[in-house]
Amino acid sequence: MEQLKEKQLVVSRSYDAPLEKLWKAWTEPEHFMRWYGPKGFTTPSCEIDLKVGGRHLWSMKSADGRQMYYTGVYKEIVPMQRIVYTDSMSDAEGNVMSPEKMGMPAGSPSSMDVTVTFAHEGGKTTVTVSHIGGGEGADYAAMGWEQAFDKLAGVLAKA
Amino acid sequence: MLKTHQDSLSLTFGALSDPTRRKILSILANGERSVIQLVKRFDLTQPAISKHLRVLERAGLIIRGREAQWRPAKLQGAPLKEATDWMEQYRQTWEVSFDRLGAYLQTMETEQPEKRRRKVGKPKRPNSKSRSRS
Repeated sequence: MEQLKEKQLVVSRSYDAPLEKLWKAWTEPEHFMRWYGPKGFTTPSCEIDLKVGGRHLWSMKSADGRQMYYTGVYKEIVPMQRIVYTDSMSDAEGNVMSPEKMGMPAGSPSSMDVTVTFAHEGGKTTVTVSHIGGGEGADYAAMGWEQAFDKLAGVLAKA
Repeated sequence: MLKTHQDSLSLTFGALSDPTRRKILSILANGERSVIQLVKRFDLTQPAISKHLRVLERAGLIIRGREAQWRPAKLQGAPLKEATDWMEQYRQTWEVSFDRLGAYLQTMETEQPEKRRRKVGKPKRPNSKSRSRS
């Protein structure tokens, strides 16, 4: 798991559900749209072309009607096991936009690699998502700051 | 104002992109240290450590004491917090999505019945008798 060091962010969750169901929830737009997105946002549109090199384009809409689009390409698909895709902010047509232009902090990676893994054990299905910044922000990938931050978090809380 | 904030965030990320500097920060998380004390913890020369400290200082991640000899380096929380907050947004996004996914899985149809699924006793046709009685 030496790779884990290089991940910026790893989030995992286990569900009392069959693997097939989780896989569908991730790979079929009509299901994906029902749950994906940050708090207070809905996913009003979603295209998934599930093949290596295939594109995704989904949107997020805030309660006040602000809509953002994210696009990317599937780099790896191992059915029922693993999906790797890139994710970038884009316009409604899927043209990648720079993060700064979209109001994100300068230095934000313009594209992230998102890896989703699925594992079924003891009746539970565990989904793990990890992010690695790519593109111009590729040095992010080497940061591995998470462990350092874990330790620092306590200090910061007191600061 | 916003511009300054954004620039400082990329300075923070730049400073954090080096493993030695991250290690320095985690050492400083336990309290302030002089350059000499830090040098002992690394296989590096004092000028090399000093250089790393300058990068960290420029990013506002640490401050240095004034005393000429003993210029202890001290961790500064704020910029680091900005950077973690930024990552935290992503984490939150996933946590929220995962919550919703859990709720959605309950409602999702399993339209591909798996081999085991057979026994659950659902009536195959509406029971007209009980209907008319109710």
